Amino acid sequence: MQAVLRCARSTVLASIPDSWSNLVALPALCKQVHMSSGLAAWSGHNTPMRWPNYNKTIFPPQELTEERRLAYVCHMKTNIKYSPWKMWYIACLVRGLSVDEALKQLSFVLKKGATAVKDTIQEAQEMAVAKHNVEFKSNLWVAESFVGKGHVVKGVRRHARGRVGKVEYFHCHYFVRLEEGTPPDHYYYHNRPKLLVSAELEELGRLEGIFQCRRPLPLLQLRPASLVSPQCIQDWHDGREFDDTGTVA
Amino acid sequence: MANMNGTFKSIELFKSISTGFLSSSLKTTLVASQAVRHTTNKHYAPKWKQLRKWKVVKVELPKFDENVDDLSPEQIRSRMKEKGLQPPRPWIERSLYLSCTGGVFEPYVPPEGDGKVSAMTKSGAKQKIEFVEKKSKSMMAVRKIRSFDEDFEPRDFVESAQEIYINAHNCLVSKNKLKIREYVTERAYPEIRHNIHDKTIHWKFIQSLEPPRMVHARCTDVITKENVFSQITVRFHTQQILAIYDRFGRLMHGSEILAKDVLEYVVFEKHLSNQYGAWRLHEKIIPDWMPPPEPSLKTFRLADTNIQ
Repeated sequence: MQAVLRCARSTVLASIPDSWSNLVALPALCKQVHMSSGLAAWSGHNTPMRWPNYNKTIFPPQELTEERRLAYVCHMKTNIKYSPWKMWYIACLVRGLSVDEALKQLSFVLKKGATAVKDTIQEAQEMAVAKHNVEFKSNLWVAESFVGKGHVVKGVRRHARGRVGKVEYFHCHYFVRLEEGTPPDHYYYHNRPKLLVSAELEELGRLEGIFQCRRPLPLLQLRPASLVSPQCIQDWHDGREFDDTGTVA
Repeated sequence: MANMNGTFKSIELFKSISTGFLSSSLKTTLVASQAVRHTTNKHYAPKWKQLRKWKVVKVELPKFDENVDDLSPEQIRSRMKEKGLQPPRPWIERSLYLSCTGGVFEPYVPPEGDGKVSAMTKSGAKQKIEFVEKKSKSMMAVRKIRSFDEDFEPRDFVESAQEIYINAHNCLVSKNKLKIREYVTERAYPEIRHNIHDKTIHWKFIQSLEPPRMVHARCTDVITKENVFSQITVRFHTQQILAIYDRFGRLMHGSEILAKDVLEYVVFEKHLSNQYGAWRLHEKIIPDWMPPPEPSLKTFRLADTNIQ
């Protein structure tokens, strides 16, 4: 019966493919089998889909006067066989590092999740150069790095006296965003430098004091150096009366 | 500064683990830049190892890291059997329809030095100008086209060809997937849409420096004698503006203000035996003597490309 059908259709087609070789030509169906893509609707699991969509936003052409917009690339690795709470440590380590430094550090982190994170960052770097018009692959830094809980399989174990225990096998998703440029000096807001306009500055001989002070300071407001007008700093340094009320926008 | 930060962070991480709750699980030292473990995770009493193993009911975890492309057909078959999925149909239900040919038959070979000198100058006039009327095969093809289209005139055709060219490029720029198929054959479709995703393209047709000229015509039949396709090569010498911006709005290629002189040999195809066949852009012939295109503004690593 199949032979007859084959003869009928053989006029146009050069050769009738073998039944099983058709499998290779139907990736969509096969991918559903392995639940490796987000299109596995029948399995009842939802892999994250929104993070890679950030790569699809197209910005309008920039004006000549505008500063050159920095490229970014978002990448993720879903359902890594590792606990999300353990993976958090690795994600935190990598935050705010340049790409080269991050990869170097991850090569020597003795944790199972480090290999997955390293692969993700390497893939993101390659994507940035190939598809997102990033010229230098080292000119990237880890802007965002975080973890999400993935698929959980529930198992069972026995305890003494016939008691039952729950065993959970966790998977996690790892998300990373690489941005073009050099990493900032301080990634976290709470680590930012705070200005102290005090007598200690004169001892150190520094115009803009950028170090932390634990003593409360009278009168003067604690503000980052960038928000104090240069004229105010100059006046204070010269010993003149300085106007501390103004703030540079 | 950033380097220091990184090393400090990793050292902090090690410290927090070596002294904290997880210290027993990670007792390692760096000996001659290689990590060495001094503790093992093996239980001190191996006698009850089997029973300890039976305490936990083995659960088969789904293989998320498996790539379908890495599996052989036999492995795919066994996986589908496990899931209880039927194999795909061994024949193809949908019939095949050939709406265009796969390439250019008997392509036109443009003469060297074409477009370098204007025909108005003395040297240009002396230059050997090939007329289509002298080409017998092309004229036979034109006659065959006339047998299907009575009103076919090369002079009128080249004007409409330029319009098709402009419309096709406008659809490319506006990324109109449906409309472009009216102006472009199925063979040219993937080529015209290649590498334009995530980019903003500004294209403008300024003027035609020389009137478009038909330089080549051929007709062939595919599979049966009655199924006739015809291809006409038209020479365009035009001025165009092209500026390509990447995803972030930064200029990647070309310029918004500088116009370029473009000399092109474009092949148009029509399915003559089809009542609803239309002339569509099929291919562009790029001769060997054509100077290379403008290099991109970016630099590349040679190791990443296949240049030897």
